[in-house]
Amino acid sequence: MSDTLTRTTTEAPARKPVPARGSGTKAVLALARFEARELALQIPVVAFLALYLGLTGWSLYKNPDDFPVLHDVDRATQSLPLLLSVMLFVCVNRAVLRSRRRGTDQQFDVLVVEPWRRTVAHALSVVPFAVITALVVLAEVYWAASRPGPAGHPSPAELAVGPLTVLLSGVLGVLLARLVPTVFAAPLFAIAAFVLTGTIMSVSGNPHWLQWLGPVVMEIGAAPLPSDLLGRPAGWHALYLAGLVVLMVCLAVLRSGGRTVPVKAVTALALAATVAGVYGQSPSESEELRAARLEATRHPEKVQSCVDRGTAAYCFFPEWETRVKDWQPVVQGVQSLAGGPAAAARLTVRQRVDARYGLESQGSLEPASEPGQVTVGTRWGGNRIPEFAVGVASVLVAGDEESVLDMCDGRVVTTMWLALRSQPEPMTALRNLRIDDSVKGSAIVLAPTDPLAMSTEQTRIVSELLRRPRYSVIPKVKAHWRELTAPGTTTARVAEILGVPAAPQGTKEDDSCAQ
Amino acid sequence: MFPTVSASGLTLRYGGTPALDDVSLRLEEGVTGLLGPNGAGKTTLLRVLATAVPADRGVFTVLGHDPGTAAGRQNLRRELGYLPQTPGFHPDFTAFAFVDYVAILKEMTDRSARHREVSRVLQAVGLSDVRGKRIKRLSGGMRQRVALAAALVGDPGFLVLDEPTVGLDPQQRMRFRELVAEAGEGRTVLLSTHQTEDVAMLCRRVIVMSSGRIRFDGTPAELTARAAGRVWSSAERDPGARAGWRTGLGSFRNVGDPPEGAELLEPTLEDGYLFTLDGEPVREAAA
Repeated sequence: MSDTLTRTTTEAPARKPVPARGSGTKAVLALARFEARELALQIPVVAFLALYLGLTGWSLYKNPDDFPVLHDVDRATQSLPLLLSVMLFVCVNRAVLRSRRRGTDQQFDVLVVEPWRRTVAHALSVVPFAVITALVVLAEVYWAASRPGPAGHPSPAELAVGPLTVLLSGVLGVLLARLVPTVFAAPLFAIAAFVLTGTIMSVSGNPHWLQWLGPVVMEIGAAPLPSDLLGRPAGWHALYLAGLVVLMVCLAVLRSGGRTVPVKAVTALALAATVAGVYGQSPSESEELRAARLEATRHPEKVQSCVDRGTAAYCFFPEWETRVKDWQPVVQGVQSLAGGPAAAARLTVRQRVDARYGLESQGSLEPASEPGQVTVGTRWGGNRIPEFAVGVASVLVAGDEESVLDMCDGRVVTTMWLALRSQPEPMTALRNLRIDDSVKGSAIVLAPTDPLAMSTEQTRIVSELLRRPRYSVIPKVKAHWRELTAPGTTTARVAEILGVPAAPQGTKEDDSCAQ
Repeated sequence: MFPTVSASGLTLRYGGTPALDDVSLRLEEGVTGLLGPNGAGKTTLLRVLATAVPADRGVFTVLGHDPGTAAGRQNLRRELGYLPQTPGFHPDFTAFAFVDYVAILKEMTDRSARHREVSRVLQAVGLSDVRGKRIKRLSGGMRQRVALAAALVGDPGFLVLDEPTVGLDPQQRMRFRELVAEAGEGRTVLLSTHQTEDVAMLCRRVIVMSSGRIRFDGTPAELTARAAGRVWSSAERDPGARAGWRTGLGSFRNVGDPPEGAELLEPTLEDGYLFTLDGEPVREAAA
């Protein structure tokens, strides 16, 4: 039997040098790198990452949205990362439980890196995926910003939501593994969360404060609003998500035995940040915001700047100044075709928006009553361009937008010819403007405010005129401008003036008024 | 020679049953065998020395590090290689990845140095050729060698092996003995086993435990000598023998108190071990 010994630290024999060891922090980072690589090799993670990247790339490739509004684009980056998030939640959870499932706990628990540091490493293993998400988000915004005619500015807080959601799901997986150490917990939790969220939202009516407790709050408006009218507490929400991420990591670390003073302090800070975020994002729209929205809707001139270009003044919300150069050629193109006083008429192109209900607003605009004022929306590109041309032509013909409501006679032909002849592809524009995408028969024609109605005969005449060379029609329009734009001039008379043969079977319903 | 491990008065009870009862020992460089029946407290002693469980009473140091403090425990773990009785594996990891993972948990953070070390230990245990194979595709013996590589990575000063040859075929066991013998050069190895041949072939020292206490601590030759003059051969089983069995030669080998004029045989380590345990109650529970 050995002798009883006295404990001493001076009796250790000399050892040969062992491979260099780093600090605990370096070990955590090395472990995080290892775990991140393991995650990246998981087939579900690879598949969902590929799906996320593929869908994002596909949407950018297939729908290259010219004239993007960047403070709408930022929100559009938030939903697709949810795909990756769900899979990371499950796979990180499984990774944390790996030692327990495989019985390596008893080996690993006597190694230098303690369980709580391993928990930190698992949480950090999600960071590369959050970084990938952030890069994809930035690429989306960069792509949008590099398209023709971007307006507005993306919100960093909105852009942070995607990466934060990925981080949040990962650390939630870590925390769940530490609280309920079974692999069945994560899928069950995901299903339960989905069902519970749906139930609560349907039962409660999805109030604002509840809506914002979720990681992603998707709101797609009919028309882009100025960013100060969005009413999205994006900054508070980002703080809430960031606080929640850190809080969950801290809770998992505490649960794993890392009950150190710094961890407790960070837990308290994270809790405070989360609560502050919830407090900040919970109140619904303020009175000031409602008033600002109402003012922007009813009296946009109070918040807009205007610039003079040629015969028109262009008035815009602050974030749309760059659009003036896009509107001006349309106005000039239409006005150059007009005759009489309209050719040099002073127009006011005013940007308008229905912001009364925030992003839930319908987006339809009432016609303006001011003479010479043309409405242009906050969306641009595609069909919005010929629609604006219709708006300009309508005002040149009728004098103001309200009067266009009563316009159903021959002036419709004049208006449509003015609007479409100024377009690079008039017949395509005609088809796109008509609600039924036709170039025959009667149809409703889209415009920035109320639509126009075209009768079958008016459509025929306009189509015929558009097939003719510009130079053969323009002199007639300019020469007979007064009659062509006079209320009561029939469609048949307009056709006669412009030299379009009468329909084989003339009808009393040539004017759209009759229809 | 300075002791690597110095333990004094280690006591640990599981629900009132003493798994370790006032165990004191000193371990030095080389392989020390730990023998004992099931429930003797071998695994408990190994787990205490490996800092997997704390003792209720008593103190010990490993290479001068006191596990009673957090810093001491961490320093001890930096010097520790531990192969538990039933090691777990991550079956989807390759052999290299598994040992690499353990190396990280041993705070080896320099990637290239760590990978060199992992390659070294895999070569030492003869697994270089299958380093890229997933563990689930390896045989039981290979897996055991992966576990040994994981214990050896980082060149620990104190290696704790809990019945590492269980379940191995003779060829694998021989290969494992070679590895343990190599591991014992320049470090302290505590080898728990039921195989007295392992001890006879590998250990310069042997400790026999029973009922949570150390019953013998000496060289294998000294343990063998305990049975000197108490092993004899006879044509029939001697009714006075404590144990007896027919050998391959047809005669009986008896262990006990030989009768007058008996044909004495050369004792083995196992004979000495049996004599050491003789009369000791054997518990089955607390191993």
